[in-house]
Amino acid sequence: MIYFDKVSKIYSPTSIALEDVSFNIAPNEFVSIVGQSGAGKSTLLKLLLAEDRPTSGKVFFESNDVHAIPKHELPALRRRIGAVFQDYRLLPHKTAYENIAFALEAAGKEEEDIKSDVPQVLELVGLVDKAWHFPHELSGGEKQRVAIARAIVSRPDVVIADEPTGNLDPLNTWDIIHLLEKINDLGTTVMLATHDKEIINSLKRRVVTLEKGRVVRDEQRGRYVL
Amino acid sequence: MAIDKITFRRILKWGFINFFRNGVVSVATVLVISLSIFMIGGVIVGSSFVSAVISSLEEKIDISAVFQDTADEQAILFLKAELEKLPEVSSVKYTSAEEALAIFRERHKDDPVVLESLKILEENPLFSSLEIKAKNPSQYESISKFLESGRYDNILGVDANGQKKITYRQNQFIIDKLSFILSTSRKIGFSVSLILALIALMVAYSTVRLAIYNSKDEISVMQLVGASRAFIRGPFLVEGVMHGVIATVFTSAALYPAFWLIGRKTSALFGEFNIFEYFISNIFQIFFILLFSGVLLGTLSAYIAIKRYLKV
Ligand SMILES: Nc1ncnc2c1ncn2[C@@H]1O[C@H](COP(=O)(O)OP(=O)(O)OP(=O)(O)O)[C@@H](O)[C@H]1O
Ligand SMILES: [Mg+2]
Repeated sequence: MIYFDKVSKIYSPTSIALEDVSFNIAPNEFVSIVGQSGAGKSTLLKLLLAEDRPTSGKVFFESNDVHAIPKHELPALRRRIGAVFQDYRLLPHKTAYENIAFALEAAGKEEEDIKSDVPQVLELVGLVDKAWHFPHELSGGEKQRVAIARAIVSRPDVVIADEPTGNLDPLNTWDIIHLLEKINDLGTTVMLATHDKEIINSLKRRVVTLEKGRVVRDEQRGRYVL
Repeated sequence: MAIDKITFRRILKWGFINFFRNGVVSVATVLVISLSIFMIGGVIVGSSFVSAVISSLEEKIDISAVFQDTADEQAILFLKAELEKLPEVSSVKYTSAEEALAIFRERHKDDPVVLESLKILEENPLFSSLEIKAKNPSQYESISKFLESGRYDNILGVDANGQKKITYRQNQFIIDKLSFILSTSRKIGFSVSLILALIALMVAYSTVRLAIYNSKDEISVMQLVGASRAFIRGPFLVEGVMHGVIATVFTSAALYPAFWLIGRKTSALFGEFNIFEYFISNIFQIFFILLFSGVLLGTLSAYIAIKRYLKV
């Protein structure tokens, strides 16, 4: 479903983010991308969203070369991918509710669907009482949960989550991980970038390990080894 | 790109909401656009007012040629036809001696002394004349040359000093000077308005651009979440329309006392013309010009500014 084909991303000679990365993700897979800070995890996800171009190599989503898609067709691709960014990237002038609803509005969903779906995911991430808060009125963990809610509300084919639990307490962390497992069980492909050892070890799913921009391990029931 | 009804409604909704949430930035943008269209409005009203004054002054300039009392009417009408053939001439008006007398009588109908003296004279003391208007004030010189060419000496009247009765020569200095002032003030007025309008445009655009620059991260997030360009751009354009409309209301309200004041201060200078009255009598046109330029400024600036950030 997703295929990285000899992808390199070289920002400058001193910062080579990815080097000759190739791997394949099947539909409905749950793949964790692990690696030390600076290993290239965020860059990998960025390339899949076509937020940036690879220096060489190709990224395929189904049979489409992501970086050859004409500009006006990119939104349609991005709507099939729900993204949780490491730095949340919420819209600062919109409330939690509106941030989540935005993903649906952008997709042209009906107003009734928005009115029923948004409260549902708010419930799921435990933020019903903060629905009308603006991002600057939320804690880091709450912002992160809004970001997750926004990523999953439109029931995308793929969810890519970059360090989605970095600011959460253990209880919330497990809630989110179980949530990701659940949507994966319901048929959504999940790419999770993390360096949380406990999560990886308890997930018992596929793990792709990056080291200095290279894939050094790719195991079906991986453990966190560094 | 086609936008469906639901998206259009959302664009309107977010344009309104963003306008109010942007508080200070919205107010600043409205103020700058107000200032710009205030300048545009002032320049348009000012220059078209001056231009109206100039035109009416130009209307007042003419050459009149007075004929001998023995001059044959046929010959005068022939000269009239010849003058009308000249490319510089816009109109020629013939007044016969009898008509001149009738006009004179009418004008002095309340003045028994004048009427009495006319009666005593018995004969008509007035002469036939042609009143010639040029298309352009600078062309009177050549029209006058045509008249003085000598061909028409047999019918043109002569005063006590033997000078032909052509008023141009008598007023030559004033006419030349006036026509010079008129043409230069038109040119200067036009370039000043152009420069002012350009400055206004640039200031307004920079402000809008700054406001949108502040939203550039937001714009890229919207794109990554899968919003189309039209859906991202739309609310900014709606905001632009709102900026323009509110700025127009502001500006109209500010121009009113401004022209009232200017009108009072300059009434001595322009005499029968008053810029305030001119403003009032054209208020609807002015309002729509302001509205058009305000809305165009608001939306076009936003459109151009946002283009740069729709690139992720
Ligand atoms: N825009 C950029 N310009 C230059 N270098 C960059 C840029 N973005 C990332 N890099 C470099 O690319 C490398 C990989 O960065 P990346 O963000 O992918 O790491 P990461 O694995 O996500 O790390 P972390 O776990 O800290 O989030 C780093 O060395 C970083 O310095
Ligand atoms: Mg990262």
